Amino acid sequence: MKTRHRLKFLGAALIAAASFSAFAADPIKIGISITQSPPGSVVQGTQVKDAVEIVKDMVNKQGGVLGRQIELVYEDNQGIPEKGRAATEKLITVGKVVAVTGSHQSSVCLAEIEVAKRYNIPYVNTNCWADSVRLKGYPQVFNAPIYSTRVAESVVEALLKLGTKRAVMFCENTDYGIGAAKAIGEAIKAKAPGIDYKYETLDRAGKDFTPAILPLRANPPDVVLLAMLPPPAYIVMNQLYEQGVAPSAKTWLFDTAGLADYPDFWANVKEAGKYMLNFALYHPQMNLPKLATDIGQTYTQRTKNDPNRLIYQAADSLLFIIDAIKQAKSTDADAMIKAMAAMKFEGTRGTFTIAKDAGPKFQQMVDIPSVIYQITEVGQSTGKTLLIEGPGVPLSTAKLMKPAK
Amino acid sequence: MLNVDLLINGLIIGLFYALMAVGLTLIFGILKVVNFAHGEFYMVGTYTYTLVALKLGVDPWLALPLAAGAGAIVGSLTERMLMRPLYSGYTSWGMLKDEYAVVVTFALSLLLVNLVDKVIGPYSQRGPALIDITRMSLGPIMLSGQKLIATAVAAATIVALALFIRYSFWGRQIQAVAQNRLGASLAGIDTAKASNIVFTLSGALAGLSGALLAPIINASPDVGSFPAIKSYVIVVLGGMGSIVGSIAASLTLGVLEGFGAVYISYDYRDTFGLVILMLVLLVRPQGLFGEKGRDV
Repeated sequence: MKTRHRLKFLGAALIAAASFSAFAADPIKIGISITQSPPGSVVQGTQVKDAVEIVKDMVNKQGGVLGRQIELVYEDNQGIPEKGRAATEKLITVGKVVAVTGSHQSSVCLAEIEVAKRYNIPYVNTNCWADSVRLKGYPQVFNAPIYSTRVAESVVEALLKLGTKRAVMFCENTDYGIGAAKAIGEAIKAKAPGIDYKYETLDRAGKDFTPAILPLRANPPDVVLLAMLPPPAYIVMNQLYEQGVAPSAKTWLFDTAGLADYPDFWANVKEAGKYMLNFALYHPQMNLPKLATDIGQTYTQRTKNDPNRLIYQAADSLLFIIDAIKQAKSTDADAMIKAMAAMKFEGTRGTFTIAKDAGPKFQQMVDIPSVIYQITEVGQSTGKTLLIEGPGVPLSTAKLMKPAK
Repeated sequence: MLNVDLLINGLIIGLFYALMAVGLTLIFGILKVVNFAHGEFYMVGTYTYTLVALKLGVDPWLALPLAAGAGAIVGSLTERMLMRPLYSGYTSWGMLKDEYAVVVTFALSLLLVNLVDKVIGPYSQRGPALIDITRMSLGPIMLSGQKLIATAVAAATIVALALFIRYSFWGRQIQAVAQNRLGASLAGIDTAKASNIVFTLSGALAGLSGALLAPIINASPDVGSFPAIKSYVIVVLGGMGSIVGSIAASLTLGVLEGFGAVYISYDYRDTFGLVILMLVLLVRPQGLFGEKGRDV
């Protein structure tokens, strides 16, 4: 009898221990919504995945968060807003994730944040620049990348310094592209009303942009601005070069989307990239924390590519969620959102606070460092480009180079 | 000067459209089905050319026929493995023929795009140019050496195809099958072989087109969607199954898109083709060069 009781007790204790250890070992699930198949930018999706995997491994190696491992649950949004909406819904309801991040196309972000708001789940925007994502003012949404109004301010300062009288922008027909073009229009109106500015919207699925470029041959502007992402951005660049429009002795080519740090940039443009001015969010001459160096090195080891801003933005997005869990000491959504809003966050790109101002800065990490540089050789690595503005480097156009014709 | 630029550029683009669309026209002419994987035949050519030239170091001039060959193989295999049930004795399939063709070619399209995305990777790549002249003036127009060569090869290929269909032994058999499959069969023509030749030709043309444009329209997994969409519009506009109609429709579309983009709005560039298509179909439901009916 006594032995039977002992066995019963032992059995119950074993079951209890097993369930406790299962509970203790339950990973914290974080949802990653990225583009893993066309028509969206699989290039960006791949970079985001590479970066968050590095952060996850790093954190799990150090013991995880609150004694639990981090598990990333992926959903493919294909760069299509309705797929993004479904992906976020699935991550929250089926995947039981505590937060969602990863999205890198503004149109998709705009669809996904509606779901995050409805379920009251923290959502960290990884690479959606469009102001409209912030203008919604949703308390669940936090923003790791730069925003279009800030880009526009920086670009317009450079346009003034270049002595621009007429500028034409080619933007893609997305929330990001049109938002960027309008933001630059607003910034010009406010800061440089003397600049004659217009923008032309190009189809992201298009392949021949010559009809949009040909009119510029007869009447070349001082600057052609680009707010387009690959691969159509590369085709536009090549066709601008082929038609002798930009870069040329008369016209600067100025990319505002950080094109040059895409891993496939030089595989797609050759001479068309030389002399191009770039607004970017990463340059090897920037003084980044050791965390960025470690993540950058691991990224290079794993992929053979140099790190770029998207790697750091994606890493910061996940690190931000992990820090919020630590500070909230919980995975409860309200506690995490409260912690995020009040956080001083030390990420790969520096130390940020979260802006409270309503408008395009709402719940934005501030201030995201940016640079402007010029590519002076075909195939040039970012580190060797000519830095004309950056943290600690005041804007100077004195050393800029232009083609002979 | 802008108008001359637009006209010449429109004709060049129209020629590229024609090279992509004639393969689709041929298939419709003989099988009366739409091949939704046609854009992916183009993509196979683009990637074969780019990878063979860049990774294996093969001369681009040699990579060009290899790309056409790869397209031809994919076309031939598609016919042999996927399309043959349409006319190989499954008479009860008659009613489901169109549905089968749509589903199977659409599935093939998705399969090929995702296969390339996973196996080769999502990064786009620009194919090497056949000639190292990045830009040149030719009278009032500016273009790259590659564009000039691509235009010449496209024009020569279309002429050669038209001659092949009109005068060669197999070309005449293809015409016969296109006119009446049963009649051709009764006359002793191997209709299955004719269908296979058409798919092979269609794949080769799309592959060649992809290779010629690889240095202009960079290779990426979804690169085939653009030529495919244009081709569908062209095939219907020109008259389904009419090669001459496809060529005329391609050139018209290329020129009108260019002028419309400048003088109306670039935003509606892709709309022009569809508007013209609707207008033409209202007046000529069989398309510009299509026939009202062929069945006896």
